[in-house]
Amino acid sequence: MSLHLIRQTVQRFRDISLKNKIFFSIIAVILIISAVIALLARWILVDNLIDELELRGIAIARTIAERSSGYILDMNQPELLSLIFEEAKLKERQHLVSYIFVSDREGQVLSHTLTRKFPETLRLANQVPPDQAKSVRLTRIGDQMAYDIATPINQGIYRIGTVHVGLNKNHIDQLVAKLRTTFLGFLSAVVVIIFIITHRLAKYITLPVFKLTQIAEEVSKGNFDVKLDFEQVSKGGQPTECPAFANPEVACRHLDGNLAPEAHGGGQGAIDPVCMDCRFYRSQKGDEVAQLADAFYNMIWSIRLYRRRLRESEKKYRSLFDSGPDPIFVINHQSFDIIDANPRAVEVYGFSREELIGKPFTELAPEHTHEYFQSLQSQGEAHGLVTYPKALHYKKGQKPFYVNLHASNTTYKGQPAIVLASTDITEMVEKDAQLIQANKMKSLGEMSAGIAHELNQPLNAIKMGSDFLAMMVEQQRAIPPSDLHQVVSEMSTQVDRAAEIINTLRSFGRKAELVTERVDINKPIQAVYTLVARQFELDNIHLELDLDRAIHPVMAHDNRLQQVFFNLVANARDAIIEKNQRLPDRPVGTIRIRTYQKGNRVVAVVQDDGIGIRDAVRDKIFEPFFSTKESSIDMGLGLAITYGIVKDYGGDIQLASQEGIGTTFTLSFAAA
Amino acid sequence: MIPLQSYRGFLSSTAANDCTPKDDRFVRIASEQSFGRRVALILCLLCLLAGCQTSDESEAPEGFSPGVSAQEILLGSSLALQGHAGFLGTQTLRGALSYLNHINAQGGVHGRIVKVISYDDSYDPPMCLANTQKFIIKDPVFALFCYVGTPTTVKVLPMIEEARIPLLGMFTGANALREPFSRFLINVRASYYQETGAAVQHLVDDLGLKKIAVFYQYDAYGFDGLTGTELALKRFNLAPVAGGSYNRGTLDVEEGLNKIISSRAEAVVMIGTYDPCAKFIRLANTQGFRPLFYLVSFVGADELARRLENQHGITVVMSQVVPPPDRRDPSPLLTGPDGYVTLLEHYYPKDQPNFVGFEGFINARVLVEGLRRAGADLTRERFIDAIESIRDLSLGPDVTIAFSASDHQGLDRVHFTQLENGQFSLIRDWAEIKSQLNAPR
Repeated sequence: MSLHLIRQTVQRFRDISLKNKIFFSIIAVILIISAVIALLARWILVDNLIDELELRGIAIARTIAERSSGYILDMNQPELLSLIFEEAKLKERQHLVSYIFVSDREGQVLSHTLTRKFPETLRLANQVPPDQAKSVRLTRIGDQMAYDIATPINQGIYRIGTVHVGLNKNHIDQLVAKLRTTFLGFLSAVVVIIFIITHRLAKYITLPVFKLTQIAEEVSKGNFDVKLDFEQVSKGGQPTECPAFANPEVACRHLDGNLAPEAHGGGQGAIDPVCMDCRFYRSQKGDEVAQLADAFYNMIWSIRLYRRRLRESEKKYRSLFDSGPDPIFVINHQSFDIIDANPRAVEVYGFSREELIGKPFTELAPEHTHEYFQSLQSQGEAHGLVTYPKALHYKKGQKPFYVNLHASNTTYKGQPAIVLASTDITEMVEKDAQLIQANKMKSLGEMSAGIAHELNQPLNAIKMGSDFLAMMVEQQRAIPPSDLHQVVSEMSTQVDRAAEIINTLRSFGRKAELVTERVDINKPIQAVYTLVARQFELDNIHLELDLDRAIHPVMAHDNRLQQVFFNLVANARDAIIEKNQRLPDRPVGTIRIRTYQKGNRVVAVVQDDGIGIRDAVRDKIFEPFFSTKESSIDMGLGLAITYGIVKDYGGDIQLASQEGIGTTFTLSFAAA
Repeated sequence: MIPLQSYRGFLSSTAANDCTPKDDRFVRIASEQSFGRRVALILCLLCLLAGCQTSDESEAPEGFSPGVSAQEILLGSSLALQGHAGFLGTQTLRGALSYLNHINAQGGVHGRIVKVISYDDSYDPPMCLANTQKFIIKDPVFALFCYVGTPTTVKVLPMIEEARIPLLGMFTGANALREPFSRFLINVRASYYQETGAAVQHLVDDLGLKKIAVFYQYDAYGFDGLTGTELALKRFNLAPVAGGSYNRGTLDVEEGLNKIISSRAEAVVMIGTYDPCAKFIRLANTQGFRPLFYLVSFVGADELARRLENQHGITVVMSQVVPPPDRRDPSPLLTGPDGYVTLLEHYYPKDQPNFVGFEGFINARVLVEGLRRAGADLTRERFIDAIESIRDLSLGPDVTIAFSASDHQGLDRVHFTQLENGQFSLIRDWAEIKSQLNAPR
């Protein structure tokens, strides 16, 4: 039970505030000490005082006993009275001695100091036994109590009388009480003083702690602008007076002192003269409490500075994000949902910000986006940049346009995310298309002679057939039905052929759509063959096709691919012609086009046995406006455009060449 | 040891601390309040402790006063009726009694006869003390009256204080009867300090004497006079050039005389009784040492004069606290129908009017005045209050009595007399004395 009570008390003590702990501990100790001192004092002082007073009474009695014997024998009552009166009334003694009387052998009172009738009861109240030197007894005189100290008066060996000294009990009690009161008063005063001092001290120690706790509480709630009003504040001022607070670019000697110089950019080195006597970071002299307060204050100030810097930096990057010239998206790393988009994205894509946020990015760019992002994901946390050129995106209302995409992994609001910038390149793509078109027209021009020749052949055949029929009709000759059928069907065949040539030509000259389509790469090769094979024959160049019919289609434009192959075979033809000019006895040149499937890549190889490409220029061969031919005829755009188209389709073009022996272009595309 | 209140405060403050931090401010105020309460409580306890110790003094007895009956008022007087100061006591008593007899003959005061019991103490302090105890316990008396002598009166002071009995009219100017002030002591005459002070002023200022010696009785009386003289001399930046003393009750003055003669003093202040002083003067005169002899009133003018009758060429000056009781003086206080000279002649026809008796007479006048003023319902306290109410009571041309609650001395005048033709008469002109001193003898 009592153990439980103690435990409860201890628990309660543990729960009270620090201030009260200090306070009550000291008070308890002081009270215990005071109690002990009070008891000791009572024991020592009071007992000693009473003993001492009694001894004084005995001394008085003995003195009188010695001096009075003569007077007693002489029966000199006045002198005896004078003697005891002197002894009784000697200055301060008169308060202590309430009476003195001398009695004779028979106990008759000879003399007394009372100013009233001698009380009969007192006379024999305290008698000294024969063999005793003194006797002390508490007696009553009137309404007062007295310690009666009796001492015999001896003359020789006989007792001739007795001296009685009455010590005023009231006075002794008063002395004791006075002593006690004084002492208790002193102790109480000490206790009260210590009480007050302790109270002050406890408050002094705990008030800053209390304040710190409050401030910490505020800070933990996110209020960093809490007032740091400690009592000891002597410095301080408006936060804006701190250069580092006013301008986050400025380094703070205190805050950045331990960091590497480049950790915080800006004015490292040149310390603001104001900072030589910093008014915000404190290190005051003082006790631990003051130092704690200082450290706490400094910590808060550092947090404020950091927050300020962070906010400024956030603002800075936010402004970059918001006012960036290109659309920027932040995309969820897993679902590819748009998390954030800048105003430019809103402007370019035509969706409102609200519509954009939460929309899967694949809705804006259905093609290739998945693979693209997956390739980003595979990079993991690496902040590498992945570029995706000429991606086809759709504005609101499914309007397609081309963009270049730059994306990298980032962290947005603590989550892994993809930041993605898209540059609208539609205009550039259109320019490209125009360029390609122009290039195509030029090729058409170059081809026109061959095409004319090509067209001439069926026309000639039709002419010959129609002439034959006309002649037969003029000569009234009957045409055997078999011949007629042969001629007519031959003419029809020739018409079809002419139509095919024209169709091919038309498709070649048509402008490509923006949207790619699944194309069997053999088809454009076939078309080019149709257009140029006869013409090349005229130049003694043989165009061979070795096409694998089982290859996958690729995502591209048919007529653009025609242009690619046309450019390649045109270059091959030029190379062969150039070689033939140098080696006139050479019978025939060969251009070989081969297609095949290699893994999930579709490969087309254009190989010639022309002059080849010198090593020196091999690297420049795809650059625009570079040409090995006479500049008047060639703009030097052919291979550049070819390269551009192949790259647009995500394809690859490789060059292998040996001077004087031939050149091989290897094109490869991802299978659709 | 911890007061209950503070324990409660402790509980409440701990309980409050369990609250949310928001309430902390309230808690602090609350604990401060309880702190204040605790302090107040402790102080109250201390006060109580102190209060317990206040003494419960017994109150003054009220109602019936000892020594007072319907018929008479009993007074006790312890004085020297025989021995070397017997003249003083006898004459004081007779002077007083001549007036009291007169009053009693007229029916007393408020119908009560004023009766004085007198015991001889022979100028012996123990006897005086024993007498006083007897007055207080045995007789008992209403008040003490006409004590004579410094050591005797001083001896009984503690007993008077203890018994709270008034003592009126002491034939002594001792300072101990005046300081510290006591309500129960009622002096009539001027003090020795006043006497010696006035005397020294005349000696120094009027007579131009600087070398002043003191001859004194070796007891409280003599010391009192010595102190008064020294204090007076100090005002002139002087000190006694010599001091001689003798023991009370003896006539061993030779040693003191020799000391003083060898100091070549121009004046000797004498504080003693008439016998030793007369012997001193006679011896000095015999040896041709004739300075100015100044004596305080207590010496007893007439007895001294008698003892110096055949001495010539000496200058003896004595201060008096009453005017000379001259038979030819027309003052009503002396020769009026209830004057001292008249009444003394009536009741003690053998006695000559003298300074000592006159002082006793004046004491009796003051006593009767006080008893009258105290009214029929007489108590010691009322009597003292009545005495204190006496303001400027003029008894004669040079005798005006005044008391107050803080002043228990009725007269302040000091009169100087010179021994001329065996009799002390008032000094009118100090220049005469000066020329007398300077005259070759």
